[in-house]
Amino acid sequence: MSLWQIAWHYLWSRKLPTLLTVLSVALGVGLISAVHTLREETRRRFEEEGQAFDIVVGAKGSPLQLVLSSVYFLDRPTGNISYADFEHIRDHEDVAEAYPIGLGDTYRNYRIVGTVPELMEVRWVVDPISGRERIPFQLAEGRFFEEPLEAVVGSIVARNTGLRVGDTFTGTHGFEGGHVHDDHPYKVVGILETSGTPNDRAIFCNIEDIWLIHEEHDHDHHDETHNHDHDHDHSHDHDHHHHDHDHSHVHEFDKADHDAEDLEVTAVLVTLESPALRFTFMEYVMHETNVMAAVPVMEIQQLYSQILGTANTVLLSVAYLVVVVAALTVMIGLYLAILQRRRDLAIMRSLGASTMDIFGAVILEALLVTILGIVAGWFLGNVVSWGLGIYLTRTLGMAITAFDMSMHELRSFAIVAVFGLLAGILPAWQAYQTHVASDLTKP
Amino acid sequence: MVTIKDCRRRLGPDVTFHCESFHVEPGEHVALWGPSGCGKTTMLNLIAGLLRPDSGVIEVDGSEIQDLSERQMDQFRGERFGFVFQTFNLLAPFTALQNVLLGMRFSDTRPTKEWKPRALDLLQRVGLQHRVHSKPNTLSVGEQQRVAIARALANKQKLILADEPTGSLDPKTSQGVMDLLLKLCSEEEVTLLLVTHETEIADRLERRFDCSGLVMDTTAEAPAFERNTA
Repeated sequence: MSLWQIAWHYLWSRKLPTLLTVLSVALGVGLISAVHTLREETRRRFEEEGQAFDIVVGAKGSPLQLVLSSVYFLDRPTGNISYADFEHIRDHEDVAEAYPIGLGDTYRNYRIVGTVPELMEVRWVVDPISGRERIPFQLAEGRFFEEPLEAVVGSIVARNTGLRVGDTFTGTHGFEGGHVHDDHPYKVVGILETSGTPNDRAIFCNIEDIWLIHEEHDHDHHDETHNHDHDHDHSHDHDHHHHDHDHSHVHEFDKADHDAEDLEVTAVLVTLESPALRFTFMEYVMHETNVMAAVPVMEIQQLYSQILGTANTVLLSVAYLVVVVAALTVMIGLYLAILQRRRDLAIMRSLGASTMDIFGAVILEALLVTILGIVAGWFLGNVVSWGLGIYLTRTLGMAITAFDMSMHELRSFAIVAVFGLLAGILPAWQAYQTHVASDLTKP
Repeated sequence: MVTIKDCRRRLGPDVTFHCESFHVEPGEHVALWGPSGCGKTTMLNLIAGLLRPDSGVIEVDGSEIQDLSERQMDQFRGERFGFVFQTFNLLAPFTALQNVLLGMRFSDTRPTKEWKPRALDLLQRVGLQHRVHSKPNTLSVGEQQRVAIARALANKQKLILADEPTGSLDPKTSQGVMDLLLKLCSEEEVTLLLVTHETEIADRLERRFDCSGLVMDTTAEAPAFERNTA
């Protein structure tokens, strides 16, 4: 019978106190585990999304705002740039691919993203070692948009709005409460597979539809309220000529009829010939054009270190505080147990157990409680992360992979185990000092 | 097997244990007999190394134990002594079998693979083969003491130290336990030192050592137990 077994039997003999102590350790470890998992996973997901495009180009303003609005659909755009600027960027020799996006309208507060069909074919390697690819645009049903005013909706949008293939809907200018473009209903032709990306909560259509709708919207608007100043973030507050429109059928926007300076896009998602060109290209955009460029990964990492990093530090500090309290619980629980067990320890000594055997058995008890707490806490933390992952996927389109172990977590668990060992020292010392003769003769 | 020469141990400000001379041959069964407070248990604890003498010599199995370090004493105790206590002193979280195994765990006298067969054999010999997986709190007092006897013999120790082993038992059970203890000690050819205040129990052993007067009240120049009972 090993010292581990002896320690285990004593823990098992006082199940409830052991369970409560394990629970207290598990709470602290669970918190640590959840914070680590959420931090690692959100950073990984954000960075994976950020890796999709080397550069984002948009109107001058906050680079972070540009990235959040055009890559993650989380913020208001910084403004618009002309289609000519887009063409200028697209035609640069360092640019491999350039996808324009036009934002401005929403449907039940979900972004309608005007872009080009080629964006639907985008995929990128997120893990160079395994070659794992991210394919953010995969259809669950239907097809991608081809004809004017056809839309593909993200999985969250489909679930929360009830939109199905064949349904029609109308966009709202800005957010709910804005002008409803009810004369240009979109037709749902496809629903995206859940990807755990921002695409899940967006609606995609051809950017020409955005131009068409806003050309006519602005036209109508001019008829109704002359020189009214819009406070919208969409890309088309410019003047348009009057046209005769037949609203009984779907119109097609003819780009050839428009000057590139008249058309606007909200941002350009750029893939360069090599990621190594990011900074030189950004320098070029910043100094040689009147638009702004931002590197998504860099902006997200800054966001993490500046804001989320602090929040994580605070949360981790609280978690470690819980672990320290749990370690004190281990110590007090064991100390009281040893006081009640002095006779047993004396019996063991009379059977030939050395003082180090006794010391070791008590330390192992502390370690066992801590290890059980760590295992339970890891499970608890990951269950919480898993639950939060489901919630975040449903609401934000951000998938969280739980039940994974990072080096950060392992390091934290090692620290907790050391806390547990330290907590066992005082009771173990108490046990070490067992006086056999007097403790044996006590009633 | 056991020799004590001019051994003194101070027990209190005015109370001292003093044994001039004591000797037990190997295999002998000796009762340390006397009234309560006379020093029987103190003598047993000194022989077991649970108490250290202030002066004098205690020799067990050819080794003087009074100067052994704590670590050496732990090892010596585990290898040579078996204990049977009045209150059985079984470890509550462990089964009967595990209690006997623990008797072997802390000494290196036999290979690990022999532990379980030896423990099961002893439990069978004390008539508890059907209770090997029972916890102490489910055993009767007689059964508990039989487990304690099995544990004391587990390592084939050379010396069994029994402190009032029948003190908590009714007369019938007491007789059964004594029969078993004496039988097993004879079979295993071990020396038995048994503390008792009961003459009938003491008379069942080969020899009785009268402990009266071992603990002295140094102010009254009288045995401490006499002062206590006065």
